[in-house]
This record gives sequence, structure tokens and C-alpha cells, in this order.
Amino acid sequence: MRRAASIVAVLLAALVGGCGGEGDRDRARTSTSPATGDPPTGGPPVRIGTKNFTEQYILGELYRQALEAGGFRVELKDDVGSSEITHQALAGGALDMYPEYVDLLLSEVANLRVRPRDPEAAYRAAKAFEERSGFTLLAQTPFNDANALAVKPAFARRHRLRSIADLRRLARVTLAAPQEFHSRFEGLIGLEERYGLNNLKQVVTKIPLQYAKLDSGRVDSARVSTTDGQLRKRNYVLLADPKRVFATNHVAPVISRKALRTHGAKLSAAIDAVSRLLTRTAMQKMNAAVDIAGRTPRDVAEEFLRRKGLRS
Amino acid sequence: MLRHKLRTRITTRVVALSAAAAALLGTALVFLIVAVTGQRDAARVAFRSQEALAAAGQLESSMITIENGLRGYAASGLKRLLSPVNEALGAYAGEQRRLTRLVSADPTQQARVDEIARSIADYLDLWANPVIRLANTDPADARSQFLSNPAGRARLGAMRSQFDALQERERSVIKSRVERAEQRSAYAIGFGLGGMGLVLAIAAGCTLYLRRSVVLPVLTVAEATGRLASGQLSTRVPAAREDELGDLARSFNSMADWLQHSQDELERSNTELKRSNAELEQFASVTSHDLQAPLTTISMYAELLERRHGVEDPDGVPALVEGIRRATSQARGLIRDLLEYSRAGRGPLHLEQVPAGLAVEQALEALAGAIEESGARVNVEPLPVVLADRANLSRVFQNLIGNAVKFSGEDSPEVSIGAEHDDGQWCFSVADNGIGMDPEQSKRIFEPFQRLHGEEDYPGTGIGLAVCERIISQHGGEIWALSRRGEGSVFRFTLPAVAALREGDRGAPVHARAGA
Repeated sequence: MRRAASIVAVLLAALVGGCGGEGDRDRARTSTSPATGDPPTGGPPVRIGTKNFTEQYILGELYRQALEAGGFRVELKDDVGSSEITHQALAGGALDMYPEYVDLLLSEVANLRVRPRDPEAAYRAAKAFEERSGFTLLAQTPFNDANALAVKPAFARRHRLRSIADLRRLARVTLAAPQEFHSRFEGLIGLEERYGLNNLKQVVTKIPLQYAKLDSGRVDSARVSTTDGQLRKRNYVLLADPKRVFATNHVAPVISRKALRTHGAKLSAAIDAVSRLLTRTAMQKMNAAVDIAGRTPRDVAEEFLRRKGLRS
Repeated sequence: MLRHKLRTRITTRVVALSAAAAALLGTALVFLIVAVTGQRDAARVAFRSQEALAAAGQLESSMITIENGLRGYAASGLKRLLSPVNEALGAYAGEQRRLTRLVSADPTQQARVDEIARSIADYLDLWANPVIRLANTDPADARSQFLSNPAGRARLGAMRSQFDALQERERSVIKSRVERAEQRSAYAIGFGLGGMGLVLAIAAGCTLYLRRSVVLPVLTVAEATGRLASGQLSTRVPAAREDELGDLARSFNSMADWLQHSQDELERSNTELKRSNAELEQFASVTSHDLQAPLTTISMYAELLERRHGVEDPDGVPALVEGIRRATSQARGLIRDLLEYSRAGRGPLHLEQVPAGLAVEQALEALAGAIEESGARVNVEPLPVVLADRANLSRVFQNLIGNAVKFSGEDSPEVSIGAEHDDGQWCFSVADNGIGMDPEQSKRIFEPFQRLHGEEDYPGTGIGLAVCERIISQHGGEIWALSRRGEGSVFRFTLPAVAALREGDRGAPVHARAGA
């Protein structure tokens, strides 16, 4: 009888056991920021946005890691889009800050056609513009990331090219550039206006694929950034821009004043501490590490900050 | 204690069997319930997963609607293209809450929905709303963003793969739950059928057990009872079992023992009785016979005495001798009748077909003197032929007619003899108009030496009717009298009809009765 009872119990257990859930197998990895260093302070997280290319990703990681090391909670929103979209996201309150190129801000966001005299004037103008709508600029970086037109050395020799103006002699020049190049002053509009170039044929290309197109000869020229890691190979010729279509473009974090009020001077100090270290060489190296060596922006930023003593 | 235990073995077994059957059935029922519950739960989960799938599809479609609407608006600047966007913007939060609620039981899915919610928030905050704002201030710029900037599509693409993962999991949940529901329902069917089979098996087992352990032993006892009733007193049943049926068998056997014992006892006393009866009759017969001789001698000596001394003493001796002679004659009559009674109904019957009328005629011849003397009138109706011993039948009529003539009143006797057929036998009657008797006396008169009247009124030894009774009962009939004092008597007796006798072999029972 006892044996029969135990058999019944076992059968029951087997039958009921099959009904359990199979959860817990893969708990999703949801935490946004790996908790390193000091425990995060209270208050809302600092929402950092980045635009849609390598240098921005690296800048985002630099600011995020430095702020987290300083005890802030950070939400990093990578790859938001072009300046126009990212700035609208900031204006709409979805972001607290993002790193922006000062001259680009003036020309594309503030829609100023007139170039400021020098980088300092540009910075003042941009800061004034932002402060009109509840934002401000923090300290700009030592490096500047100007746009430029690059060609292969052989192409330059063949057509004896030194300046953008020399391109007028060619019947047709193909140019690899991102889509927005088409409708920007720092693009076809400025080139035509200042240099009278109407023989440019844009081939829409996502950054950083313009180098590959240039290398393979599918385009004659490409729009590049002076901090691009690829340029460290000295395999390209940058055409001079005497008419200053492309602006100097130091980087300055655009930040909402509300966030500054919320988090206090400690926040701007932590951000400025990063910005101050970003020289052109440092930036080019980091870009090269990502674009050429294939490392992740997070790794590269971590290594840099560690070397500079901004995180453990 | 042991005895009691043994006695209740069948009861115990039946109870134990029922309990085991109930336990088995209960177990089958529990399994059935568990299986059905499992099926219901699985079906419920599958249904909720279907709903989650639908909700996820709706939410995803809202996002695609927003992206497409925005693209159209950015491209054309037509405000009306924003209305589906606004609609979707109004609806998505509800859809998202619904989806969250539907997956709340599954942590993995919950995490995925959270992830999707973050993606949606990012998509709206970092793409859709900025584009709308941009379009409001600079439509051309917004259009160019759409053409140049894959961010929205990329976000949607990422979101779609999140949705795919979510839906894939829900689909697998549905699949597994449907499979489980099917499995559970197969279990349920199995347990149901098993339970039914169990019931049948138990019923069959019980039937077989009852048949083997109860019905067959009872049948054995019943058959034995039949054999016992038909006279086989040696019948016994096996009584090896130690249960209630064993008790029954033992009771039956002791009853049969007792019956056989009683029967043996009866036969022994019967034999004893017969033997002593035969001895007694033998004694009576021998004694009667042997008494005849001295009586004859006495009456001879009385005659000699009369012859020698009757002349010398004519006054005294003849009277004395006459007394001796009368007493001797009386004693001889008595002995003769005694002898006749002791012989009547004994010895073999010579059965033949006798016309009863012939027997009556013989009797009337023998009674001719008495009839003539009394002036009696005898009326004989037509009588049947019967199977009887002629001499004995004639003797019965002679005794009855003789009595009718003898016990007459003041009128001259009238005797009427008849017969009627009655239910396979003949009923003869001898009626007279004599003195009759009290009805309560009409039984006693068939006993030997019973007399209702004094010797001086009606002479006789009182043996005639007893002889009649013996003869009739030896023939297998009955005799009785109907009478009232002063109103005559009717004597009736029955004899089996010839036809009835012929039908079966009635000779042997008649013989047997004659022997008894």
C-alpha cells in the first residue's frame, strides 16, 4: 500500500512538474551603464546624445565615462542623426547635451550665412544663439574638425591641384559626401557660391566610406574631416580652402541650462576636464583606432581617459 | 477471534477489493483532473500569447505608420499626412501598456518589452519629434534629413528585430503550449480510457471472484440440497473453506448428518415394529388355532356328558351342558373372528377384474338365510368392474350387507347397494334404514372388537368392520360411515377404477401396502 502511494506521488509530481515556466533562462541585460567607480549620485541621469559618425561616438563615450567616474548617472544616446535632428532632439527635451561643431552650429542650426571672423567670435556667436533658447555652450576643445576636400596624390599631380579653386579647370569632378552636403553651405552651396564650382557631382556616401571610394577610384574627391584617422596615413592630399567655405569647427558641448542647474558646477567641471584634453593628434589617433584598427569607441575612450587619469 | 476473522474473510475481501478499486479510480480521476487542468492552463497561456502577438503587431504597425507618415509629410509638406501619425502617437502608449500587461508573467518578455519601450521612446524623442519640429520650421531641411539620414529607418529596423524576438518567443510559447495542451488532452483521454478500462477490469474481476468464491459454492450446496430432498441422504459437500461459505457447507453437512441419522433411527424402529407386529399376529394366529382344538374337545366332552347323563338327570345336566356348549361356541366364534381379522389384509392379494355385482351376489347367497329371516329387501344398482381380490371384495359386501340386515329397527330392513365414479376411483355405498348411530361413533366402529350394543341385543364379535377396513385399505381405498341415530346408515368405500389401475403399475404399491 505504501509502495502504491509512493508511485502515485511520483506520477503526480512528474505530471505537475511539467507545468512550470521556463523563464529565468536568459534574463535580459538591461542596465544602461556599467556601475564603475563611485556610486551614482541621485537625481535624473544626464542624457548625452551623439551625432552619426565615429568622432561623435568617441566623444560621447569620453563624456559618458568621465561623468560616470565623477559619480553621475548617464544615458548615452548614440547615433541620433545629423546636427539638425540632434539639435531638435535637444530642443525637444529628449537630450541634455551633445557635442557640436561650433561653425556648423552657426551655419546649419542658426542658419547664419556670414562666417565669423575667427574661432573665438564663432564660439561667442554660437553661445549667444544657444543661450537665447535655454541652452549654452561649455568650453570648446583644443582640436578643430574642419571639413575639407581630399583627393588622391596622383589625381592632384595629374591635374596640378592645390586649392579647391583649381577644380574649376576640370569638366566634371565626382565627390563622395554624406547626403546633407548637398543642401549645406559647408557643401555644394558654399562651393558654388564662393568658388563658382558647378561641375561637382555628389556621390552620396556615408562616413567613413568615402575613403574606400576614393581609394578604389570610384570618385575623384571626397569630403573629409581634418581629424579623420585615415588622414594619418598621409595618403591623401587636402585641397586648400582660401575662400573659407569650410569653417574651423572646434567642438563644444551644447547643454541645457536646466541640466546645469540640476547637477551644479560639478557637471560642467567634469565635462570641461575632458574637452580640455582633446587635441587634434589625440582625436586623430582615437578616430584611427576605431575606423582603421576596428576597436570600439568605448575601449578607445576608456584607454584615453585612463591614461589621462580621468577614470580608474 | 481467529474464527471470527476467518468467518469475515469474504466480507473483508469484498471491502478491500472495493477500497482498492475506489483508490485506483480516484487516482485515475486525480490524473484526469490534473491533465485537464494542465490543458486548460496551457490553453490559457497560449491564448494570452496570441493576444500578446496581436498587441505587439499593433504597436509595431503604429511605429511604421508614424515613420511612413513622417516621411510623406517631410517629402510633401502636406499637413494632412500627419493625421495618421498623430493618431498613432495617441494610440501607441495604450498599446504599449496592453503589451506590457500581457507579457507580465514572463520576465524575459517583460525585459524585451521594456527594451522595445526604450527603443520607441528613443525613436520618438530622438527622431520622430525632432523631424516634426524641423518640418515645422524648415520643411526643406526635414525632407533632406529623410533622404540623407537613415537614423529613423535604422531605429525602426532595430525595433523590428526586437519585435521579431518578442514575437518569436510568443510564437514558441504558443507552439509549446499548444503541444502541451494536446499532450495533456491526450493524457486526459488516456486516463479517462484507462479509468474506464479499470472499471471494466474491476467489474470483470469482481464478477469472476464472486462467481468462483460465492456463486459456485452456493450452487454446489443448492444442488446437494436437491439431491438430499430427492432422498440421497448420503449427499455431502466439500467444506474445506474457512469463510462464510465454508460455514454454509458445514451447516449443510451437519443437517444431512442429522437427517440421515433420523432416517436410520426411523427405519430401525420401523423394522422393530414390523417384527414385533408380525410376531404378535403370528402369536394370535397360532394361539387362535391352537385354542380351537381344546374348545372342540370341551364341546365334544359336553356332548358326551349330555348323552350319558341327560337321561338320568333330565332337569339339571342338559341345562349345564347347554351353558358349556354356548360358551364354547361363543369362544370358538370369537377365536374364528380373531383368526379372520388376523388373516385379513395379510398375505398376497389375487387381483383380477371382478364385476362388483358378482361379489355382491356371492355375499347375498351367503346371507340368504338371514335375509329371508328378517324379510329384508336388497336393492342392487348396476355395479362396475373393479380390479380386486374377488373373495375379499365379496367378504366386504357380506359384512356390510350383513350389518345392514342385522341392525334393523322395527321396520323390515331395506338395503340399497350402488356405486359412483369419482375422480379415478369407484365409490361404493351400502345404505340401510336401520338404527343408525351417533356420528361421533362412526369412526370407532372400524376398530377391532368395538361394539356399540350388547351381545344380547345384537350378536357378533365386533370384528366385521375392522376386517372390512383392512381389506379396503389393502386395496388402496378408504372406508367410512355416515349415520345418525335412528336414521339409518350409509357405508361407503372406494376402490381404484380399472382404467386408473391400468394406466400405471398400481400393483406394486398395493402389494407394498399389503406388506405394511
